Amino acid sequence: MTNREKNFSYDAYLNRTHFLGRIVSVLALIMLLGAPFVIGGVLGAMPDLAAAGRGFLAVGLIWAASSVVEYLVYTPMLGAGGSYLAFITGNLINMKIPCAMNARELTGAKSGTAENEVISTLSIATSSLVTILVLALGVLLMIPLQPVLRAPALQPAFASVVPALFGAMACQYYRKDPKLAVVPLCAMSLLFILVPSLISSTSMMIIPSGAIAIGLAYAGWRKTRKEEG
Amino acid sequence: MDSGVLNRLNGGAIWLVCGTIVAFIAVVCVVFMVRAWRAGKALGMDPVKMRRAVTSSATFSILPSLGILLGVLALSGSLGTPWPWLRLSVIGALHYETVVAEGAAEQVGVKLGTESMTVEAFATIALLMSACIVGGMILAVFFNKRYLRKLQGRNPAASGKSSGGFGDRAMIAMFIGLVSAYIGSYIGGFVSQKPSPDAAGEYVSARFSFLGDWTPLVAVAASAAAMGVFIWLKEKKGLDWVENFAVAGSMLVGMAAAVLVRL
Repeated sequence: MTNREKNFSYDAYLNRTHFLGRIVSVLALIMLLGAPFVIGGVLGAMPDLAAAGRGFLAVGLIWAASSVVEYLVYTPMLGAGGSYLAFITGNLINMKIPCAMNARELTGAKSGTAENEVISTLSIATSSLVTILVLALGVLLMIPLQPVLRAPALQPAFASVVPALFGAMACQYYRKDPKLAVVPLCAMSLLFILVPSLISSTSMMIIPSGAIAIGLAYAGWRKTRKEEG
Repeated sequence: MDSGVLNRLNGGAIWLVCGTIVAFIAVVCVVFMVRAWRAGKALGMDPVKMRRAVTSSATFSILPSLGILLGVLALSGSLGTPWPWLRLSVIGALHYETVVAEGAAEQVGVKLGTESMTVEAFATIALLMSACIVGGMILAVFFNKRYLRKLQGRNPAASGKSSGGFGDRAMIAMFIGLVSAYIGSYIGGFVSQKPSPDAAGEYVSARFSFLGDWTPLVAVAASAAAMGVFIWLKEKKGLDWVENFAVAGSMLVGMAAAVLVRL
């Protein structure tokens, strides 16, 4: 064991992790928010802040709420180093969380321990690097495909990205609670059929639709809780 | 899509901006990894165990990463390649990016993947995509230290589950509401719109005309069916790995269906 290892203090390590994590998170934040302005400068077209603000009210609030829930639930699983990295690199539910859980199980690390802190940081960092690498290689391979991607026959595909996503999500979420889906889906269909001019502001309608679904879910939850006593 | 706009969104300068950020984050990952490795050694952890954590995480991440790559492909037709590459490399998730991009596009009056896209619209969409996802990072900056101190020594599996758990249901309900609003709008569009006499590809209100665009409904149905197959393969056939491709794969099926019906 070297001198340095003998003098190792886990508390000092954690403190430095928090310090470093905060700095890189703030830097990443500045870069990600700054990039659209830099790109806008390059292209000669700055973002329209008023439109971005309206968009934020419509769709951003949902994600803001879900990011609080994600934060509270996932941070304890990820530890200090792992959570800073995971919130910067994203893809939590579909990759980082199961990846860290898997590593933890393989190595038998108990949550809340120093060992877990090390294992989950190693796991999340590795996972992020693999994604960065795979995507970089993949994107390089995609460059020669650009002319194919722009073929007119393929354009309906790109115009259908959003409906295709919602089809997949409908299947995923409706099956979890089919009864809950009936009312918001019928209400929204009826609304858009009767007031087609609203179709151009669908994202605003997420709010009433979400409110209906959450209200019904809450009523159902209260009822089952009462029945259970 | 106006290929001039797409050319500009695929320009070298955009690659440089996005590449710099991806490179920065890659360096951050390496730094955290090296620090954790050294800390593990200093704590007397078995290097074999640590190596196992690294190799298992690397192999575990390959398939989901390929799924994410398909997501880049799906978005590249409307937003160019570099921006979706950045977003999906380092922070986003496909469903998040797509929903926010669509919401932002609506605010600036364009539709993703159509001729209406402009560079002005792109800048606004990109900003909103960045702004909507920073919640986790901001919370981590302000609360991580205190939150984790509080939890130290406690088992999160035991304390993290609140009794009764309305949180989970609220999340499911929120997504059901989100999906319903959009699918409702496609149904409304088909029933109560008709092609605009002035502009090709545009639609105007026409209550109960049944002349609206039905391509989105085809895409919804095809991708929902594909997702059903993915879920069946996972749950009934025990093929857990298919889950990595479920969302992106279903989307590509839906997109392919839209191409077929418009041929």
